[in-house]
Amino acid sequence: MYKQLTENIRERVNLSEKEEDSLKKYFMPKKIRKRQYILNAGDKCNYLTFVEKGLLRSFSTDDNGHEHVMQFALEGWWISDMASFLCGDDAIYNIEALEDSELLMLSLSSMDEMMERIPKMERYFRLLMQSNIIALQRRIRVVQTMSAEQIYLKLMEVNPEILNRAPQQHIASYMGITPETLSRVRKQVSSKK
Amino acid sequence: MTTTKTIAIVGATGNMGSAIAKSLAKSGTYRLLLMATEQDKLVTLKTELAKSTKAEVFTISCAREASWEADIIIVATPYEAEKEVADKIREVATGKIVISISNPLNSSYNDLVTSSHTSAAEELQKLLPYSKVIKTFNTTFAADFITPLIDGKTADAFIAGNNGDAVETVSEVVKAAGFNPIVAGDLSVSRTLERMQLLLIQLAMKNNYNWLAGWKILHNQV
Repeated sequence: MYKQLTENIRERVNLSEKEEDSLKKYFMPKKIRKRQYILNAGDKCNYLTFVEKGLLRSFSTDDNGHEHVMQFALEGWWISDMASFLCGDDAIYNIEALEDSELLMLSLSSMDEMMERIPKMERYFRLLMQSNIIALQRRIRVVQTMSAEQIYLKLMEVNPEILNRAPQQHIASYMGITPETLSRVRKQVSSKK
Repeated sequence: MTTTKTIAIVGATGNMGSAIAKSLAKSGTYRLLLMATEQDKLVTLKTELAKSTKAEVFTISCAREASWEADIIIVATPYEAEKEVADKIREVATGKIVISISNPLNSSYNDLVTSSHTSAAEELQKLLPYSKVIKTFNTTFAADFITPLIDGKTADAFIAGNNGDAVETVSEVVKAAGFNPIVAGDLSVSRTLERMQLLLIQLAMKNNYNWLAGWKILHNQV
């Protein structure tokens, strides 16, 4: 039940066996079914969510009712509405399960207590946030400067599993293109092989 | 828009379990997981609920699975079965609200089996150290859930717990079931709540209340 989390933590920090064991009490294990929401926009986001199994997406809806996918979360990924989680703002994102999933959810108070009791976890989150910022900077550049085909090729390189598991319309939304454009791009890419 | 919470009722086919399930289903505000070992009764209950509600209702035969999916777990089994339930759900109930509804009466109904220095709720909290155990629904009979309005007044339902947010969340559940929530204090106040119900049970038997009876605090206008 904590396999992915333990691996993810071990990649970044060295915890003793005792410290690893004591981690469990801070995380709430939650099983959800496909199409269930763990967060609705307008609600408060009370958890940083880690995916042990399954696939989630976060998305916001614009004034015209169009959905914009912010991110996907596969096994080993974290997902949340950070402004809501950290500052108590109303969430702007919805978080939905695209597959039956098993999650480990961390509340702010649990996170604070955990970092106090196991100081190495401060380092873990710092390293996580660093990677996150780098990834976000790269992603902005991708979206601003690349063609739809280039973005697709980038995704194939960096995140092929998302392309296999997420529905087409959500991938298109994540890329900032229409499903029709995505369809065209996929045909172009496969014909070039 | 509040994210819909999932409530698992462990022992859903029992007297209290089914009464709670029916009234929460009627309110439509929660996603319900009905857990029991008697498959036939479970299916019958679900079919009955489906007629009165638009809420999502699922049946599960495993307490651990039901608790894993739940945000809130209601333990609607007899007091004697609570340890077994706790052992099964402990791992997946970490960080979650677990509602204790039991009154630990002895077999002659003249005393509780717990000492006055503890309560069924506190014993459950010891068994589930990382869950937020909240006491409620122990002062409301099963029949009260069908008619929370007794003698023209909405019955009070007392709530006791150590975690403020959890107590607030449970107050919402109590309101959804049709009762007037009264926060009685921290979890140790369960000792009083469980003994209160011992009194009501004895009175109900003596005076033929037919198990439709409850508590109402009288006070001046605040």
